[in-house]
Amino acid sequence: GQEFQFGPCRVEGVVLQELWEAFWAVKDIVQAKDNITSVRLLRKEILQNVSDVESCYLIRALLKFYLNTIFKGYLGKAADSRIRKSFSTLANNFFVIASKLQPSQENDMFSISESARRRFLLFQRAFKQLDIQSAQTKAFGEVDILLTWMEKFYQ
Amino acid sequence: DGVAILPAPQNLSVHSTNMKHLLMWSPVVVPGEIIHYFVEYQGEYESLYMSHIWIPSSWGSPTEDPECDITDDITATVPYNLRVRASLGSQTSAWSTLQHPFNRNSTILTPPVMEVTKDGFHLVIKLEDLGPQFEFLVAYWRREPGAKEHVKVVRSRGIPVHLETMEPGVPYCVKVQTLVKAIGRHSPFSQVECVRVQGETLPL
Amino acid sequence: HTAENTSDLLQHVKFQSSNFENILTWDSGLESAPDLVYSVEYKTYGERKWLVKESCQRITRKFCNLTMETGNFMEPYYARVTAISAGGRSVTKMTDRFTSLQQTTIKPPDVTCIPKVRSIQMIIHPTSTPIRAGDGHQLTLEDIFPDLFYRLELQVNHTYQMHLGGKQRDYEFTGLTPDTEFLGTTMIFVPNWSKESAPYVCRVKTLPDRTWT
Repeated sequence: GQEFQFGPCRVEGVVLQELWEAFWAVKDIVQAKDNITSVRLLRKEILQNVSDVESCYLIRALLKFYLNTIFKGYLGKAADSRIRKSFSTLANNFFVIASKLQPSQENDMFSISESARRRFLLFQRAFKQLDIQSAQTKAFGEVDILLTWMEKFYQ
Repeated sequence: DGVAILPAPQNLSVHSTNMKHLLMWSPVVVPGEIIHYFVEYQGEYESLYMSHIWIPSSWGSPTEDPECDITDDITATVPYNLRVRASLGSQTSAWSTLQHPFNRNSTILTPPVMEVTKDGFHLVIKLEDLGPQFEFLVAYWRREPGAKEHVKVVRSRGIPVHLETMEPGVPYCVKVQTLVKAIGRHSPFSQVECVRVQGETLPL
Repeated sequence: HTAENTSDLLQHVKFQSSNFENILTWDSGLESAPDLVYSVEYKTYGERKWLVKESCQRITRKFCNLTMETGNFMEPYYARVTAISAGGRSVTKMTDRFTSLQQTTIKPPDVTCIPKVRSIQMIIHPTSTPIRAGDGHQLTLEDIFPDLFYRLELQVNHTYQMHLGGKQRDYEFTGLTPDTEFLGTTMIFVPNWSKESAPYVCRVKTLPDRTWT
């Protein structure tokens, strides 16, 4: 079957089309709530030219941030049940992926993990420059940018 | 909130076969009255990060039957908590929660129903439609010493499909199993069925 | 002073995209609006500045081709239209965020169906898109979607179908009855993006078998 292969990190049991369909069901509603069209959190320089081995560190940091900070705050406010359903599908599948990612903690991987951390900090810094509600709404609206990047590692 | 005079539904259980998940419970009976039930779910994420959040089921909120098809609600391979309560006018019961969380990877996968036929020299197979999550792995071979087994993954659902152009006089045999990507599992193989050109289907 | 209601000037501003040809379209809410003119701007999501689409300034038609301007198929874009009436009323409306990789639809493939005596050959021609690679050559759908595959079905006397499929472009349905009509359909699938083209359909008749005449 198909699986994610983030360098050495393999993740089975997640069907990417299910995530896309969950996001597409609410894409226009969610993105319309983000009226700061001049700011993008997941900028190109964060996701471009990420090596396979670095991808495991980066995706883990991003998914944990989405689970701990973005989804956690966003769902409490999402009254629309369609958003809640899509949200639950994305959050639980992100949870499956994050819990299966075990990047190496060896010393010789320090420079690679550091590179991933710098990329993640660019994202986190941009997130913190907005008020928390706008930032959560914008980050949730950018799940398609994240899924598009994850697609490259889906085989 | 109405005073909880109504008893909470009991004996919750999930019956899951071929990725169709049905939550069932014992009905709450009030003579002469129609009871409505409300079903809610939360995945592992909600239960760990925001346990106060429950989501109304797509098809079971409300329902009059003591069961609810939760297939469309279970969209990740994680444990799901499920709960039900009864309602009669302004009266509502307490919530009753499924004792053990349900994970779709526990679904029972049965060998698929297949129909093997022939049309002239064409070997044709028809498979039941189990939904978009299913693929079928079809194995077929010529029943003769040293014959090689061919395998084909078929996605067409409910439509007869040509498998092979047969040679006369040689029996061709077929068996099939289902594959479910979302949980990384497959069913047992079906019974083997054989057919021969100008011959009848040969039950094993 | 009450805000003047101008929403009737302009409605349904959106992208319509197929095979990565991205056309911005809109409607005027008025029954007839002969004096209305429209101007189009666009930008990449995350950029501050709106860019003017030169050939779509003060136009009267209700569409504008933004294929080149939205040519990076992984990038999210916005476009907006300003409608101005002769009387000076105006309104500006913006599209939803648009990423062609997600939202483009796939047209039916171009196929040549070649009947023979006991078989039918089907040759699928590559589908080029307006998108150009770094070296300037036009990308095909196969270049853009690594998981793209073709699915061919031959309907045999209304009872069953023959199926062929894969990434190659040359297929042949064999073991057919001579001098018989068949209905062939060919579709493009891109599973990871849940994309599926409409079918290309060809109705062909196998040639008569003249070996014994």
